[in-house]
Amino acid sequence: MRWISKLSLNQKLGVLALALGALAVFANVAPGHTVKVNAKELLTSVERQEDHVTPSDLAAWIIEGRNDYRLVDVRDEKAFAEYRIPTAENVPLATVTDGTLGRTDKIVLYGDGGIHAAQAWMVLKGRGYTRVYTLLEGLDAWKDEVLFPMMPASPTPEEQARFERSVPVAKFFGGQPRAAAAPGAEPMALPTQAAAPAVAPPTLPAGGGGGPKKKREGC
Amino acid sequence: MSAPFYKLDAFGDEASLIVAFLIGIGFGFFLERAGFGSAKKLVSQFYLNDLAVFKVMFTAIVTAMLGVTYLSWAGFLDPSLVYLVPTYWVAQVVGGLLLGVGFVVGGYCPGTSVVSTATGKLDGLVFVFGFAAGTLGFALTFPLVKGLYTAGDLGTRTLPQVLGIPYGILVFGVVLVAVGGFMGATWVEKKMAAKAAPATATE
Amino acid sequence: MASVTHDVVHEAAAERAHVAQPYMNPYLAGIGLGLVLLAAFVLVGRGLGASGAFNSTIAWLVALVAPGYARSNEFLAAYLEEDTHPLKAWLVFEVVGAFVGALLSGLLAGRVGVAVEKGPRVSVGTRLAFAFVGGALMAVGAAFARGCTSGQALTGGALLNLGSWAFMMCVFGGAYAVAWFFRRQWR
Repeated sequence: MRWISKLSLNQKLGVLALALGALAVFANVAPGHTVKVNAKELLTSVERQEDHVTPSDLAAWIIEGRNDYRLVDVRDEKAFAEYRIPTAENVPLATVTDGTLGRTDKIVLYGDGGIHAAQAWMVLKGRGYTRVYTLLEGLDAWKDEVLFPMMPASPTPEEQARFERSVPVAKFFGGQPRAAAAPGAEPMALPTQAAAPAVAPPTLPAGGGGGPKKKREGC
Repeated sequence: MSAPFYKLDAFGDEASLIVAFLIGIGFGFFLERAGFGSAKKLVSQFYLNDLAVFKVMFTAIVTAMLGVTYLSWAGFLDPSLVYLVPTYWVAQVVGGLLLGVGFVVGGYCPGTSVVSTATGKLDGLVFVFGFAAGTLGFALTFPLVKGLYTAGDLGTRTLPQVLGIPYGILVFGVVLVAVGGFMGATWVEKKMAAKAAPATATE
Repeated sequence: MASVTHDVVHEAAAERAHVAQPYMNPYLAGIGLGLVLLAAFVLVGRGLGASGAFNSTIAWLVALVAPGYARSNEFLAAYLEEDTHPLKAWLVFEVVGAFVGALLSGLLAGRVGVAVEKGPRVSVGTRLAFAFVGGALMAVGAAFARGCTSGQALTGGALLNLGSWAFMMCVFGGAYAVAWFFRRQWR
């Protein structure tokens, strides 16, 4: 390889560039699918309830029009087409690490119950995602607490007040309040997509602002 | 994946501004090293006697590109967290053409005008004011130009996506084009120098 | 006024001819620049830029004079966030750094001095007029393109961004297309 020493500096740089370029052909820069889990950290954050948001929190965020997070439905396309929580995107469970979800995005996952979302949560945490949460008990809880809040049987003033606040929220999402369920009662019909918020958003008790703004990154 | 550090919360906004300042120092330093504080050197690119602009720019592009490739391959850098300006191809074609004309007329681009001003060039300073005026004019007439500004919205697109060529192969392709371009540039410069030489020899 | 500038230009040029060092090998300078760009990617997850700093500055100035208008102007409002001073922007700090870095390199090389870069066939006044107009044209171009040669061409080029490569080719194309018409300014 003595010919290399006979080259000028520029020519040496050129050879180096070509060598590095040729090797780059084999580069694999796609995100992988393996996870690295720190079990202690993960499970501690579950115990501390840092891993989820409640349906009423989510309902409030949607009504406020916050857009600093992504609401992700991990069910299949058919289920998503039948009903979805307004503002949700569909990322079926097996495709969750395919790259549509950014590692630093704030993400709220939901499924029918809590299990699939929790599985997706664990996998994303293992891929280094920093701001992932599940909707506590998923659509089941969404229906019970937000869409069809139950009129309490003999309410305390506190429970009554809470129920009354939940009625406009339910209407906003196309649901309605219901009386205490009799055993064997028919499940309430889910609002169709067309019944998406046509009602004016109810005023909520003054809370935080619209979340952190995105930093400008242009050039 | 440890990088980009700022996006993985290694440091905060205030620190990132200090990083900006330090990176800026490197940026201005190498631009001046290359002679890009001189309008005459810069525009020589477009009269084909001195193709330093092409050489510096493409060497920088290849260096950074290879760096990103290898650091991503090694699992150190997460390239999906590096910001990509979205493509508005019509606006960017028009913008590019205008920028090219402005380059020859003005003699600088915004970055090099700062370099030029720092080394005392009055025309660099005047260029800076002209650039500021142009920016203000654009802002004031924004409602009129908004249509063109948003024309050709393709979202965030990269060459590998659009050409369907795997990333690594495209990287090698860019390196080949660059090295070929450098060899071509050397040849062109020699030709132009030879053309000029007989004229000066008779003086 | 013109003759004073004239003397200054010649004196500075003469001094430079004695003291100034030759420019760095363009490939080495390019590698240096590329490493700086790579550092930006690795440290902050973004590239270099310059035109954005001008946008922030203009937005700040307009907001000083007419805050209501500035906030209603869609282009400027993007640079005016509620809780941060518009000049506390990444690019503003980077451009200030560029000024310092350029000055440093210039001092080390003996290339700092008041001068006007121009060819022998135009006057200083004409050159400065062109510099102003060229700057304004560039600003409009950079605004449409969402960046300039540092941001779009260098940064986007290295990242194989589609819009950036298209932009870069148009910059070279546009410049070569009109170079002949402006040759008197330079030769």
